[in-house]
Amino acid sequence: MKNKILKNLTISVMVSILLTFLLMIFLLYEESHSQMEDVVRTEAGYVKLAIEESGGNYLGKAVANVSPSRLTFIDEDGTVLYDSAEATGNMENHLERPEVIQALEKGSGKDTRLSATLGDETYYYAVRMKDGKILRVARTTDSVLVMVKDCIVPLALIFFFVIALAMFLTKRQTNHLVEPLNSLDLENPLENDIYEELSPILTRLNQQNKQIARQMEAIQEKQEEYEAITENMQDGLVVTDQSVILSINKKALELFHITKEECIRKNILTLSRNHALRQCLELALKGESNDRMLELDGRIYQILGNPVRVEGEIRGAVIFLLDVTEKMQAEKIRREFTANVSHELKTPLMSISGYAELMMNHLAKPENMDEFAGRIYQEANRLSTLVGDIIKLSKLEEQDHQMPVEEGVDLKSLGEDVICQLHSKAEEREVQMLLEGESTSIRGNIQVLRELLYNLLENAIKYNVQGGKVTLSIQQQKQEAQIMVEDTGIGIPAAEKERIFERFYRIDKSRSKEIEGTGLGLSIVKHSVALHHGTIDLESIVGRGTRIKVTLPVK
Amino acid sequence: MRVRFEAQLEQLNVELMEMGALCEQVIGKTYEALMKADREAARDIIKKDVLIDQTERDIENLCLKLLLQQQPVAKDLRQVSAALKMITDMERIGDQASDIAEIITTSNLPVPSKEVPIGEMAKATMKMVTASVDAYVKKDLEIARKVVSFDDVVDDLFVKIREKLLEMLTKDRSVGAYVMDLFMIAKYYERIGDHAANIAEWVEFSITGTHKGVK
Repeated sequence: MKNKILKNLTISVMVSILLTFLLMIFLLYEESHSQMEDVVRTEAGYVKLAIEESGGNYLGKAVANVSPSRLTFIDEDGTVLYDSAEATGNMENHLERPEVIQALEKGSGKDTRLSATLGDETYYYAVRMKDGKILRVARTTDSVLVMVKDCIVPLALIFFFVIALAMFLTKRQTNHLVEPLNSLDLENPLENDIYEELSPILTRLNQQNKQIARQMEAIQEKQEEYEAITENMQDGLVVTDQSVILSINKKALELFHITKEECIRKNILTLSRNHALRQCLELALKGESNDRMLELDGRIYQILGNPVRVEGEIRGAVIFLLDVTEKMQAEKIRREFTANVSHELKTPLMSISGYAELMMNHLAKPENMDEFAGRIYQEANRLSTLVGDIIKLSKLEEQDHQMPVEEGVDLKSLGEDVICQLHSKAEEREVQMLLEGESTSIRGNIQVLRELLYNLLENAIKYNVQGGKVTLSIQQQKQEAQIMVEDTGIGIPAAEKERIFERFYRIDKSRSKEIEGTGLGLSIVKHSVALHHGTIDLESIVGRGTRIKVTLPVK
Repeated sequence: MRVRFEAQLEQLNVELMEMGALCEQVIGKTYEALMKADREAARDIIKKDVLIDQTERDIENLCLKLLLQQQPVAKDLRQVSAALKMITDMERIGDQASDIAEIITTSNLPVPSKEVPIGEMAKATMKMVTASVDAYVKKDLEIARKVVSFDDVVDDLFVKIREKLLEMLTKDRSVGAYVMDLFMIAKYYERIGDHAANIAEWVEFSITGTHKGVK
């Protein structure tokens, strides 16, 4: 603005000065020229009078010396009779000269002619005498161009001086005008007190400032909201346009071991060159929601790719990364369980149907009938125990938190009951059973706790040696009840410690047939303990015995 | 003009990353094909190699176009010239992976015995290729230098495998063909390791402007 004002003003000053000079030169020239013409005419009058009074002899050398003008005396036929500047002999006929023609016609005539070099200009004035001869007076002055040329140096000096002065003044003026504009407080437009003309703009600015502030706040809030959601997500989230990452959350950054700076606004390849991920993105960009599996650092992730459509056109994709490691493992366990259950159920069923078939087709001898019936009965029993165990286990799994609990379940009397129940089994294997400890009451489900003790003690008997010993001791320590079952049995190898709580897991497959059991006992124990929020410890030495310690909270 | 140039450079970057990803895939597949004697995977590698060759030509064209039309200088020139060198190495990796695949398919190679650490070597070169592409993607000098020094591990493994194979051959002459095949494969892996190290060196050059041994 400042520059523009300065420029415009300077140009206008320059133009006006130039115009003024030119006009002045022209006027001055016109003025001096007309004055000169007057002088020439007067002189011609005097000379004419003098010639008419004193005859042609008046004209001579003396006149030429007195007058600055050039005097020419021309005969009627155009022959030059006298000239004050040149010898008459070589001069041409003057009858054709415009001023002479005019004088012959009207009594007087004039003409202005430029010299060959254009530097001078001569004014001619001619009068006709009474005798018909012509007197011409001429005076030469500088032409306009010469005048301009003569003036040009001082004029230029003046010109530049004025321009400099004008510029200096303009600059000051402009500064003065512009300064308040420059110091406008745009943050608070209404607090400025300068030109009135600006107030509509400033008011508008104020409104817009406020609007922008409001919108910024809204955007900020939205952004914060979005970040709060995505950053706290346990799943990875990547938002892309055609192939460039627009947004990525913390979890996804952690998954790919990359920092935000390294990948944001960059191609998805900077994040990962994994084939599955790229295929997922490609399909999503084609408008197809899809999912696939991806393995990263030993964990399994499910990638979900979804297209982002804006006005029906695919503008990008959203990719979710869900950690499904546990889910996959759980599924694997479930599959194994189902396979195991069917296998376990099938074995007794096959024997039952086998024996029954023999009997049906009368292939069995009558004396073997009893044995077959006994076998069928045994297998059916085994089947029913198995089904019972599975039902118990699935109940325990289902119950989880809704198990009915009662106060004051005395573990010691419960232990006595169970020992009574197992008495015959223990006698069969000549195992001695002992009960130690004090009466301890806890809060829990009596059925579940009975199952727990039953299974622990049954295992202790089953996997004991002939004539061994089983000790159940119950103790209370502060807020915890401790159930300890010690046996002198075959023990559990260290490598199997973790697995024995799995369903259907039996350590020695070859021995499994000798010792009946479903392989679900310890699984039931594990679930029962978990339902009571307790813990299990297992110590075992192969060939010496096993000690299982269950700790349950009293309340 | 600059905007267009930047876009072209970015395109070069993306295409290089893609070619790197292809190399990674191919070398990952050779491991599977070798260790599981998977012919299907081996045939897949040979198909992928064609794709790698195509990508190499595309990138080469792009580089030449950039050089001619934009006449890049300084860092940009380094990036383009490094890319030109890198694709040669990447293409060689693809070729050698496909050579390995060809040995597996044509000579019906069984799963190699545990005594020969060829699986270990395959894994080590896989790691090198992945790391060298990583170094390029992240423009990470440290990773690049690690790749270069990791080449020694692969070279050592090659020597080890050679001795082992020699031992096998002296014990039992009938395993000659098998030993030869494995030796070739080991050599190819060793070469792949060298190419990965080369890529890492070019990454270093494109970042620092100095190439190994040249100051």
